Amino acid sequence: MWTKPWTMKEGFLIGGGMIVAGLALELSVGSVDWDAFAWPVNGIVLGGFLMLIAVIWLLRKKFYGCQFLGTYNAAIPTMVYAVVLTIIMGLTRQQEHGSWLNNMLSFWPFVLIYVMMAVILGQVVIRRLTQLTSWKRDIPFLLNHLGLFLAMTTATLGNADMQRLKMITSQGEPEWRALTQEGAIKEMPLAIELKQFIMETYDDGSPKRFASDIQILTKSGKNIQTTVDVNKPAEVEGWKIYQYGYDTQMGVKSRISILELVSDPWLPLVYTGIYMMLGGALCMFVLGERRKRV
Amino acid sequence: MTWEHFIYFAVGSVVLWAVGAWAAWKDRPSVAYTTTVLGLLVFFSFILSMWISLERPPLRTMGETRLWYSFFLPLAGLIVYSRWKYKWILSFSTILALVFICVNLFKPEIHSKTLMPALQSPWFAPHVIVYMFAYAVLGAATVMALYLLIFKKGTVTSEEFDITDNLVYVGLAFMTFGMLFGALWAKEAWGHYWSWDPKETWAAITWLTYLIYIHYRLLPKHNARLALWGLLVAFILLQMCWWGINYLPSAQGSSVHTYS
Repeated sequence: MWTKPWTMKEGFLIGGGMIVAGLALELSVGSVDWDAFAWPVNGIVLGGFLMLIAVIWLLRKKFYGCQFLGTYNAAIPTMVYAVVLTIIMGLTRQQEHGSWLNNMLSFWPFVLIYVMMAVILGQVVIRRLTQLTSWKRDIPFLLNHLGLFLAMTTATLGNADMQRLKMITSQGEPEWRALTQEGAIKEMPLAIELKQFIMETYDDGSPKRFASDIQILTKSGKNIQTTVDVNKPAEVEGWKIYQYGYDTQMGVKSRISILELVSDPWLPLVYTGIYMMLGGALCMFVLGERRKRV
Repeated sequence: MTWEHFIYFAVGSVVLWAVGAWAAWKDRPSVAYTTTVLGLLVFFSFILSMWISLERPPLRTMGETRLWYSFFLPLAGLIVYSRWKYKWILSFSTILALVFICVNLFKPEIHSKTLMPALQSPWFAPHVIVYMFAYAVLGAATVMALYLLIFKKGTVTSEEFDITDNLVYVGLAFMTFGMLFGALWAKEAWGHYWSWDPKETWAAITWLTYLIYIHYRLLPKHNARLALWGLLVAFILLQMCWWGINYLPSAQGSSVHTYS
């Protein structure tokens, strides 16, 4: 044990150390408070995290542990821990205000293991970038690993900046206030007036279509007429507007429509990661034959 | 076309696929290709006519997804056969397809015409079809792993391992498509691309488990049997993601993925 080169045993011990550290944090400071990561904190944390990855990379020759983080022997145990914790999450009822296993996303051991996965991804991406050999191997590798890194980190850190609000619009009355998830009223930079709520049903009475004809007025002076369907949100100045609900007592005759307004400024970064991974998967299928080992 | 006509198409396809499987054993590839393709055409014509008569893609109920699964298994088998010429693969894919066809014959479930607004999206068909194809290919990888672990005497040759790995690579690629198409669709439908809904949680678990297999196999010194056992575990987790969560207490009432 701990004789170089380290194997998966050491990898599992390091991962286990992260779990123990996570448990200590959970006991001492409580679960992760993701709301605290709202801009600019998440920007600073991301910058710091990238620097940490760079520092680990630079210290790889000095400290064997840093070098080890870029190996399969570190990556595989970390993924195993991630899978086990995620299985526990899948088997346990998750609650927004739960604690420990019932709120896995805020449970320190879970978070630290995924952070470690991101650190490892960072190491292998830098190494590959400094040792490019053949595009046929390097491009798929980078698309897969950098794409996952980007999607994971920006989705997690950007979550605190995501706003999801409900707006209850009524016919003939422009509405500019919306309710936050906590139930607070927030004034929006746009006003929406419901022109007509549309509900169609199949012959057996089951719902076929929910939609709202709406007029949107923005602070910047835009005046937009559009229809919002389930699966077809409208988009105005960084806000996506979704059909969310209606007056179920009135049904087809509902004179109100509940819309959901979503803003997620980090979305372009997450989507860049997702599209890179899609490209990586395409490469894996097309070029995909596993290279023969010598 | 209704569900009552399914048996005629099913019997026709299975007979054609069985002839193809037999021809592959007897080293008559041209017969194997022709009959398997014909069987696929017969089967697909049923899916297509269901699509037309239902006025929506037949992708909503478990029975309907099994229909696609039964279609993709011989297709995946055929692709593997054309690429790597394994005699046995068409027999396996035919038997597996037959199992799912039988399930559909004896437990067809209701196939009503309605499609709720949440499922009316251009993402619906690619998301489910790509996933079914991934499951079919990974099913073939699992069969291969079972064969190598239990029935094969002696050590596993590197060629046999390559087949398994290639199947996993193709399956994982399609699984990634399915998962990310799902994320892009979720953003349009529910306002967020990833909400850790139980189905999403289990999709992440399955995806990561196959990633572990791939990375473990790249490790110079590794235990071949452990890797194969890993594939079996991965396929069990996949079942959990596919239909197991419908019976999971922790997922009851909290999944937006239950439609029927």
